[in-house]
Amino acid sequence: MTDTGYDYEIEGWADTRKRVLRSKMVIAGLVVLGLFTVLTFIHPVLQATVWSGKQSVYRPVTGHDTTISHPSGPTIAHPLGTDPLGRDVLSLMTYGLRPTFLVAIATALGAGVVGLVAGTSAAFFRGKYDRVMTHVADAFVLLPPPLIFLIASKRGLLGPFELGLLYGLFFGLGPAAIVVRSRALAVMGKPFIDAARSVGGGPRWIITHHVVPHVIPHVAVVVLAGVVGALVTQGFVEFLGIAEYRYGLGNLVYNALTYQRALGSEVAWSALMAGALAISLLASSFYMISSGLREVTDPRRSSRRA
Amino acid sequence: MVRFVVRRVLWALVTLVLVVTIAFFAVNLLLPYDFAVGLGQRQGAIEAIREQLGLDRPLVVQWLDFLWDFVRGDLGESYDGSRVSTVVWGTLPTTVAIFAVGGVVAYLLGEWFGRVVAWSRNRYFGAVSSVGSVLLFTAFPPWLVFVLVYFGTDRLFQVRSWFGLGPKPFEPVMGGPVLEVVAVGLVVAFVGGIVLRNWARRNDRRALGWLAVPLGLAAFVASLVALGIWAEAIDVMLWPSAVMATVGLVLIAFGESMLVMRAGVSAEMTEDYVFTARAKALPERLIRDRHVAPNAVLPAISRQINSVPYQLSGFYIIVRQLNVGGVASLFFGAIESGNVPIIIGILTVVGIIGLVLRIVLDMIQAVVDPRIRAEGEPA
Repeated sequence: MTDTGYDYEIEGWADTRKRVLRSKMVIAGLVVLGLFTVLTFIHPVLQATVWSGKQSVYRPVTGHDTTISHPSGPTIAHPLGTDPLGRDVLSLMTYGLRPTFLVAIATALGAGVVGLVAGTSAAFFRGKYDRVMTHVADAFVLLPPPLIFLIASKRGLLGPFELGLLYGLFFGLGPAAIVVRSRALAVMGKPFIDAARSVGGGPRWIITHHVVPHVIPHVAVVVLAGVVGALVTQGFVEFLGIAEYRYGLGNLVYNALTYQRALGSEVAWSALMAGALAISLLASSFYMISSGLREVTDPRRSSRRA
Repeated sequence: MVRFVVRRVLWALVTLVLVVTIAFFAVNLLLPYDFAVGLGQRQGAIEAIREQLGLDRPLVVQWLDFLWDFVRGDLGESYDGSRVSTVVWGTLPTTVAIFAVGGVVAYLLGEWFGRVVAWSRNRYFGAVSSVGSVLLFTAFPPWLVFVLVYFGTDRLFQVRSWFGLGPKPFEPVMGGPVLEVVAVGLVVAFVGGIVLRNWARRNDRRALGWLAVPLGLAAFVASLVALGIWAEAIDVMLWPSAVMATVGLVLIAFGESMLVMRAGVSAEMTEDYVFTARAKALPERLIRDRHVAPNAVLPAISRQINSVPYQLSGFYIIVRQLNVGGVASLFFGAIESGNVPIIIGILTVVGIIGLVLRIVLDMIQAVVDPRIRAEGEPA
């Protein structure tokens, strides 16, 4: 499939914002993401105000409410109930969002930078370098970053940020590099590149001022899609108990399932749902923003491997 | 075409060596020397173990050694003395069988659903189904498995009782000829049935078109009965952990092909040939399935095949709780004990599966689209 005659160009920032905000997927994703951002920042606020006198009850990992039996459902004292170990689920969940956000940021940063550098340089310099980079990318696509993430978690030496960067490295050299390269190749064929060359623009100038700005939206699309896998994998690492810390969303799910089995009590639905839904809602917010942006940047998507 | 295939396979071998190299260095650098220390020996003994396993050599030498083994089709020896190829190979039939059935079902479900959603043009239906499929796509696997087991076990036992089978605990499923026959048979019956249906529709044999998929399944059942393994086969097909693993995989994987298919169909719907077909007063379903869908199906297939390595890692995570086929316990056990060769072996197998499927995909595309054939090299 080739271009259909008209060129789809986005003009300036105002136009970009208008088009992006017209996409319902992006709006829905941003709303969910905003909600979770608020939840993350609400934890210290609640600690300082509502929960300040009752630290022994509301401390994220070691708190315990001795006045009721656990697990319990939502009440006014515990809006999301308590988990089988008697800890407040709202406190655990909002606190557990921290490493999750760290992983998301690190993955996006790592994959974005690596993918941008690898993809645009391959498209710009072409030739042998491009061939080598394409083969490397083909190899990285075959090594799923979630498995690498799981392997790297074992030593317990890498924190969420480093693990996110590692995921970003593998994702950036693989899928992200392929997408960015194909987009950058399309930009390289445009007349303004020749114009910039003919007035004496060097490679660095052309890449940073002409290629990168046109490729950035596509980088955002692919990188945000990559964050999804990183978040779910990180939840699983916490679930396995091989993460560096013990307060993640995956730990919440693990505790809800394990102690239900061990104590034979009823299922701790509130803890289970809070942990699992927080992971998947946050991950889907990134996915929704990504696929919404994809429609905005490229309404007639036809790339083979996007 | 022959030249294209030969070149493609040669390039694939280069890629495979790269995959193995990256896997080797990544795993060794991320998990160095854990195994010997994990045995809890004193310092002198640890050195002895390292020497015995050849870990005291420089990493590059170890890599060359590994590569030399790999070129001869061997994945080396694991730290506990077993052959990696044998151990990994042992887990493969069950894993691939269940993964193949789940993957094919997920793709077909997603393709059909994406088509229906795009065609309906009902805003609420569209919004609900896209949010739903995104949520399933990002579902947290341990939670999903728990919910499936919690709510599905009784239903499954009920279904088992219809076939005169008692309830069964969630035991690990190990391979066996019956399981492989069932998996291959199911995939062949399904895909064969659909190919036959498409052929029948193209040639205006309406009755055959309707009957194709049921016919395929009937042939599958008949061949099981003929082989005399009907009882065992139905037991394997309704094995709780295998069923839950398959359902979990389908739920997580179908969203992707659905979204791609939906986007493809939506983009095609405004094309001129659709207006022409409508002007001829062709029935809507015919326009959708025969005119539009074939134009949108290639990106969906390509996405499905390209995300197989990724879906395999999701599958490993799903089956860890259900313990199907032993691949999860092998993988996570190897991570736990720092058994590097086994991890590299599993990564290599994932890479090979992905690579083989990619070559198949390239051939499909080369057959369908002559422009790709001319380029020759992987794009």
